[in-house]
Amino acid sequence: MLSVQRFLDEVIGSLRNVIAPAIADPYPKAQAYMAAVILEFVSRQVEERGDIATGKEQALGALFADLAKLLDGKELATPHDKDGEARLCQIIEQLYMERDRLGETIFTAANQRVRQTLRQLLDQDLKVVGKAGQ
Amino acid sequence: MQEKIRTYLQWKLPAAHNLTLSDFVQTAVGWSHEIYVFYANWQEDGRELRRGFCLRKDPGAGLLRELSSLKDQYRVLQALEPTVVPTPRVYWYEDDPSLLGGPFFIMEKVEGEATNPWSRAGKQVYAEAAKRGKLPRSFVEALASLHNLDWRAAGLDFLGVSGPGKDFALREVAKWESLIRQSLRKPEPVLTEVSMWLKANAPAVQRLAFVHGAYRTGNLMIKDDAIAAVIDWELQVIGDPLYDVAYVLSDLNREGSPLLSCIVEREFFLDYYQQLTGVTVDLDVCRYYEVLYMMRSTAFWLSASGLFAEGKSKDLRLARTAYSVPVVLDMAAKALGF
Repeated sequence: MLSVQRFLDEVIGSLRNVIAPAIADPYPKAQAYMAAVILEFVSRQVEERGDIATGKEQALGALFADLAKLLDGKELATPHDKDGEARLCQIIEQLYMERDRLGETIFTAANQRVRQTLRQLLDQDLKVVGKAGQ
Repeated sequence: MQEKIRTYLQWKLPAAHNLTLSDFVQTAVGWSHEIYVFYANWQEDGRELRRGFCLRKDPGAGLLRELSSLKDQYRVLQALEPTVVPTPRVYWYEDDPSLLGGPFFIMEKVEGEATNPWSRAGKQVYAEAAKRGKLPRSFVEALASLHNLDWRAAGLDFLGVSGPGKDFALREVAKWESLIRQSLRKPEPVLTEVSMWLKANAPAVQRLAFVHGAYRTGNLMIKDDAIAAVIDWELQVIGDPLYDVAYVLSDLNREGSPLLSCIVEREFFLDYYQQLTGVTVDLDVCRYYEVLYMMRSTAFWLSASGLFAEGKSKDLRLARTAYSVPVVLDMAAKALGF
């Protein structure tokens, strides 16, 4: 997703340069310009919320610790990417690609644990779109 | 733009005198292409003529990026013209960007309405048509006409033909993965799990057919409670007819309506479709394709929001789709049981 600041800047730009100039009626035209002005103030007041990133980091940390145990010594050939979500993508691909070597029992257990974390990550993203817990 | 189009038409219709355009509208519905609808009016051999046209133009930064080909769309519509599949007649294709700023083609303006099914009013239009009974039958018959088409004889094999077995599903997954790769701005582990599951569980195809890829109300011109034309030819493929069936069955296309695609009852659709085509609908395979559609939708929204983020489009509709990504991924996760 784009940053909050960038999104607000783009919406303000559209209100000011596209929407308002196209409106002939003076009242809605003034409303569109005023919406742009208000959003400029609002953009100086808001900042990205930090709880989502923290929630994701915690979920990923717990997963990586659990996976080491679940794989029972059968390490995956995944580099330790600094970005936790990028590392998880690599782990998911490796799990499927090495399914035969791992065996169905280990694959299933690891995949279920991964999916548990994916649900946690998704629930964090869904907070932003207002659909968490639905 | 209007004057450039008028000049072009004058060039293509040299016998036309006093050619003017009227009722000129750029519709806001196209995400991949600019769409202009208008009437041309002229005099020829002492007669007053008036003809409706629809022009699709490549804006250079469409939702499907390089996966979309206006020339292919034009060729598909040309190939379908002599068949029983209801489609608009196409007139001219141009790839010279000096004419209108990008490739475009012009087709007939089919009389009718492609009412948007997502609005409350749209749902009401389709619910009332469903009660009258004629449109649901026409909806199934038009789909069956696509799937019963001898696509080789129609010359549609230029689209590429999948191999036997799982090849079709795997090619589709690969296609949408390529769009995701072009668009992705950050890792999406849920999407990775969905893609890997799709590759591990690809179904075998019963038979190959000409598949529309987005067969639903909104992509069908309707007149007098019948399908006047199947439109929006961007996602067509030679593949599993159940790919279209799954799209019709999907909750993605009815948003709370009890009717499939807001127009047809499920049992009637399944019975009548199987009767007309001889295809056996395997609901497990359809559920697989529904997950594939969720991956495809995610690819669309990542591409759209990516075009905005990359500064290739200023359309806020594209920006808004960034917020649709977790919603569709949530649907896919639930379909896979997590």
